[in-house]
Amino acid sequence: MNLALVDPFVLAQDCPEVITGHLRSGHSTSIRFSHRGHLLASGRHDGIIIIFDIETNGVARKLRGHTRQIQSLSWSTNDRYLLSAGQDWKVVLWDLQDGSRLRTVRFEAPIFIAELHPKNHHLFVAAVVEDQPVLVDTSNETPVKHPLSSAPLRTQEERDNATEKQTAQDARVATTVTVFTPSGDHIISGTSKGWLNIIDTTTRETVYSNRITNNIIVFVRLTPSGRDLVINASDRVVRTLHLPDLSDPALDFSTLQLEVEHKFQDLVQRLSWNHVSFSPTGEYVTASTWMNHHIYVWERGQGSLVKILEGTKEELSAVEWHPFRPFVAAVGVDTGRIWLWSVLQPQRWSALAPDFVEVEENHEYVEKEDEFDIQPLEEIHKRRLNQEDEEVDVLTIEPVKTTTGVDAGDIGFRMPVLLDIEASDSEDEVVAVGAGQYRRRNDKEWVNDDDVGDTATNGTGVQNGTKRRRNQYG
Amino acid sequence: MSSTRDLSPSPKRHREDDDEDTSASPPRKRTATSSPSPSRSRTNSPPLATSPTALPSRPAHRPSRSESRENEDSYYHRATPPSPPKPTSLHYTPHLLLTGHKKPISSASFSPSGTLIATASADCTIKIWDAHTGALHHTLSGHLAGISTLAWSPDSTTLASGSDDKTIRLWNTSTGSAHPKPFIGHHNYIYSLAFSPKGNMLVSGSYDEAVFLWDVRSARIMRSLPAHSDPIGGVEFVRDGTLIVSCANDGLIRVWDTATGQCLRTIVHEDNAPVTSVKFSPNGKYILAWTLDSCIRLWDYVEGKGRCVKTYQGHTNKKYSLSGAFGVYGEGRKHAFVASGSEDGSVFLWDVSSKNVLQRLEAHTGAVLSVDTHPSEPLIVSAGMDKTVRVWRCSDVLVNGAENGHREHEGYDDEVELPPYPFA
Repeated sequence: MNLALVDPFVLAQDCPEVITGHLRSGHSTSIRFSHRGHLLASGRHDGIIIIFDIETNGVARKLRGHTRQIQSLSWSTNDRYLLSAGQDWKVVLWDLQDGSRLRTVRFEAPIFIAELHPKNHHLFVAAVVEDQPVLVDTSNETPVKHPLSSAPLRTQEERDNATEKQTAQDARVATTVTVFTPSGDHIISGTSKGWLNIIDTTTRETVYSNRITNNIIVFVRLTPSGRDLVINASDRVVRTLHLPDLSDPALDFSTLQLEVEHKFQDLVQRLSWNHVSFSPTGEYVTASTWMNHHIYVWERGQGSLVKILEGTKEELSAVEWHPFRPFVAAVGVDTGRIWLWSVLQPQRWSALAPDFVEVEENHEYVEKEDEFDIQPLEEIHKRRLNQEDEEVDVLTIEPVKTTTGVDAGDIGFRMPVLLDIEASDSEDEVVAVGAGQYRRRNDKEWVNDDDVGDTATNGTGVQNGTKRRRNQYG
Repeated sequence: MSSTRDLSPSPKRHREDDDEDTSASPPRKRTATSSPSPSRSRTNSPPLATSPTALPSRPAHRPSRSESRENEDSYYHRATPPSPPKPTSLHYTPHLLLTGHKKPISSASFSPSGTLIATASADCTIKIWDAHTGALHHTLSGHLAGISTLAWSPDSTTLASGSDDKTIRLWNTSTGSAHPKPFIGHHNYIYSLAFSPKGNMLVSGSYDEAVFLWDVRSARIMRSLPAHSDPIGGVEFVRDGTLIVSCANDGLIRVWDTATGQCLRTIVHEDNAPVTSVKFSPNGKYILAWTLDSCIRLWDYVEGKGRCVKTYQGHTNKKYSLSGAFGVYGEGRKHAFVASGSEDGSVFLWDVSSKNVLQRLEAHTGAVLSVDTHPSEPLIVSAGMDKTVRVWRCSDVLVNGAENGHREHEGYDDEVELPPYPFA
């Protein structure tokens, strides 16, 4: 409801600018925003999952169940369920209503990524190290695993002419990443040999394969519309592709040609990329850099680098874009903090003084005809009251539509507010402060009272001198 | 009314200085320096009262007259299709009388679930009642001074209360137990509280002129809004939680962006009368503001610099911080009314668009400080200086359709007669 009042220039900014704060609870390793953007799930080094409330920057829930580092996180479309994959070879489906473990699925190998089906939270796909990817049905207590193929799709002709070497190679292909398309009808997987496979979810057969690169595909991410794809490969190139509408029944996969739209790379420094993600509309691509402190933001219209987000003193791993705001979160590799970049809104002083208007240039003041006429006050009051004759509708609620199609006003699943979350936070938690050095987490620390975060987040707070007061009570 | 002197040194809505005192003393500053217990009532001759404009100049029986005239207007000018006619009056009748508070009641409100009523009083307690039977579920005590405000969490499991002991407390409404951690941070009496629609944030307005935004989970101040230069009267969240409105005795109504804490709009009426209470309309497009010039104004805060679209008059509001609510009536519950108490002991119900008084409930023997409407049923709760809580029910067949009547006398305490209406 605030959109009508916010400065349109601020709203027009769709790319984050500066660090506005950080979130902290333990050593985070992977993050994911909920679809409505209220919550941020953070998987920790010690296997605990923290749900942050983005509005309060506080911990909303803690999920305990994994014993090792969290590898990937995936939200259900209604934001009630969360799927987590850990390095303890387990995938857990959480119900955030009460924080319970709905299902636990064990694997025989570490898991690269596990993604929930967009329409059925009892179905997920996982890419497993040195094994075939699996589609897991958890609707019953005992999960059913359906293996999927990693090998690229070969035509009959190719298969007939295939040499022994090639067949052996195809068999050795491992899937490194799997994601669902937004409709859930197809799975897009990337392999260690640079193949991009499209697998039909119902038949579990590979319907399309295309070799994008000769190197390992590390990560794949789709836009919410499902029409754009970004691929991070180990050849230090981030590629974007435009996809056809895969759920279109008229689509013929045998004639499908996927063209790489853009190749983003740093030719000078030969940077490799830790993690990539799209902005909500797919207009921007962000990538965190290996052994570097920067996040690169490319714009896809021209394929140019538009911004480098910086300000941290550490390398960043996972980088995620908020589902509809110009807001980027990234995980620091060394401290495990989650850094937040956003747009700073300057206070418009005219909002504070109702009699003033901000103008670009001087205006000649034109006096109104009756402006200085002396009239009895009662007369004015009476006239004003009589003018209030319009019909007023205080009840009808107009739906607010956002660009991503998710109704921002729709709160959807409402996670219960836990009042005693702090108590569970006070248990032993240690923070690495250097090589082999640990200390207990300081209670005050995870609020935004750090040097960098403070000046930005507290924008207004600093101005009126309440920063000190807050720390006092914080 | 000089007996109100011995009220607890606190509750906002109950304090008033002796009338003689006011007339004798020269105009003083509006702050609480003059009395040990600052009063929210502005009998200390607020500066504005000296200006004749502060007093609405209207003929004594204006409401009834305008009613008839505007009805004619609407008859001729509104070419609406012949949908069921909008009722021109409402018939709320006494349903329950809840007694038990030992001092005046500052706030009464239905839970969002509609099953409970919470009342806060100057006697330092909160009582939780069953909204349909009037049975007392819990008496919550723990505050050290009178309680001025209550806020229900959206899931109705938690009740927040703001007190003159400068703390905000959360209560579990099913067990009646207090949350161990009070919200400490305000330097003076807390006047107004509101939960965000998700229940994760709480906004508080205080006599110390600050508006704080709290993280409910950690009981910490998240943000302080550099709001006003006078005690805050009311605060509220908009429907989707993206905006906060605050108002103060300086006559300003400010609209804030929840996410950034920036002021987006300031609304001021030229008379600059102290604003004691604000409410967003159910759809969040308008702001309803109570001012101490016996007016309630409905503001369109989006358009231009904020525009007053309606002024509701007829009640008396010169001293106390009254509060009210929006309600719905008519077939399909598609018409809206504004409900508010009055210092003459009655409750007024105005139609939102026509500004006609739909009903005047001769409710209490003292000022009616708080009025709230039920979220889904035709029920109204009112409470005030006479230490009683009254629940009103609309038994109009036309208005309520099938659902009515069957509980009309059930639970209503017949033995307790309504006190004679002194202003008839």
